[in-house]
Amino acid sequence: MLIALFNILIFPGFIFLTLFGWIAEYIDRKLCARLQNRMGPPWFQPFADFVKLVSKEEIIPEEANPTMFKLMPVLALTATVTAFFYIPLWGKSALFAFNGDLIVVLYLLTIPTLTYFLGGWYSTSLYSKIGAVRSLTQLFAYEVPLLLSILAPALLANTWSLSEMAAFYGTHHWYWLFNLLGFAISIIALLGKLEKVPFDIPEAETEIVAGTFTEYSGRLLGLFRLSIDIEAIVGSALLAAVFMPFGLGLPPVVGFALFILKVLFIICLLSILRTVFARLRIDQMMTFCWKYVSPFAFLQLLINLVLKGIIVK
Amino acid sequence: MGLIQKTVNWARLKSPWVLHFNTGACNACDIEIIAALTPRYDLERFGVVLKGTPRHADVLLCSGPVTKQIKCRLQRIYDQMPEPKFVVAVGTCSCSGGVFDGCYNVESGIDQAIPVSAYIPGCPASPKAIIDGVVKLLSSLETK
Ligand code: SF4
Repeated sequence: MLIALFNILIFPGFIFLTLFGWIAEYIDRKLCARLQNRMGPPWFQPFADFVKLVSKEEIIPEEANPTMFKLMPVLALTATVTAFFYIPLWGKSALFAFNGDLIVVLYLLTIPTLTYFLGGWYSTSLYSKIGAVRSLTQLFAYEVPLLLSILAPALLANTWSLSEMAAFYGTHHWYWLFNLLGFAISIIALLGKLEKVPFDIPEAETEIVAGTFTEYSGRLLGLFRLSIDIEAIVGSALLAAVFMPFGLGLPPVVGFALFILKVLFIICLLSILRTVFARLRIDQMMTFCWKYVSPFAFLQLLINLVLKGIIVK
Repeated sequence: MGLIQKTVNWARLKSPWVLHFNTGACNACDIEIIAALTPRYDLERFGVVLKGTPRHADVLLCSGPVTKQIKCRLQRIYDQMPEPKFVVAVGTCSCSGGVFDGCYNVESGIDQAIPVSAYIPGCPASPKAIIDGVVKLLSSLETK
């Protein structure tokens, strides 16, 4: 009981994820700033932002539905933290594992997007409604390539469980090299999921103010921002577990360091991509995802099917 | 002052999010505000981020004398900001009316409509002056 509580609240649960999320946000902002030839924020910036937001007044619009409005940030945070427990970090098995947890993790990671939609919808401002509809439209564009590209390695390992996948790639050392195409695709999809720049259409501040979060202020906005930070960590950890399954089962400290490095590598990749690209329009994004990204995801699936027939008996 | 209150005050000083609102300026002051946010001056190193919505903002940067038409909108935006909030008047116009003072269609300065925390004179106020003004506002809060 005590250990479960420790796992949920401190490590690898809420507090660890929060701290790691802040570090990742700092690295993301600093790297973006350095690429734009500026100084960038100091290291405590995400923490200061959070404390400030938490201590600010919290305004709930008169027209909004107060229960839904307040519930959504909490739900987003819970879903992302829960998803993290099913991802193997450095051992060959996650904290909790069952056959099919791959699908559960993907669905838990979809919940934040749904809460953005509902939160935006229930705040009844026009800008939030447009942002909400956009974030749901975007969901249809990136979710399919993401699922397909994560399905391919699972197919090779012949399992639906992330922990069993880690075990499979732990014994078949170089097989992860077959999945590099899928890795590229899932990075693109993750950019869409986190609503980072080429795909930050739902919160495009030059068009629709702040999109979904237009009416959110104070503590609720702080929780939403925290859940986005944590979602970045969980998404990166998922990709690290699926596409970079090397060095698993090392001794705890080394393994932990390797896990942190893997996640930070993906975070850096995401922030470089978000700096070099400019925002697409929603229809351009749809075309891009369905015409180019999804077929490549199918190609990866095909490659792995063939491979499975040839070498993995 | 307890530790929590100290942390909160520190956080407020380190992360002022600004909202930029043109209250009838000739546009020169707005260009200077935008210039202050470019990589050349990089306000993000002080934690300043430009926000699009009053709900997220802590500091309202106003430029220009308040025209009669925009007065009620300015007040509405001010009311939409969550507490604690500060208003900075950028440019001579927004401090006192400047060259537009006495025109039939303007008030003389932002403080005719909403309470102002800091005045930054200059026609237009240069980015350095704007940064200096914001920093002075924040350090004056520190002593409070
Ligand atoms: S202070 Fe000068 S530059 Fe600024 S808005 Fe007024 S007239 Fe224009």
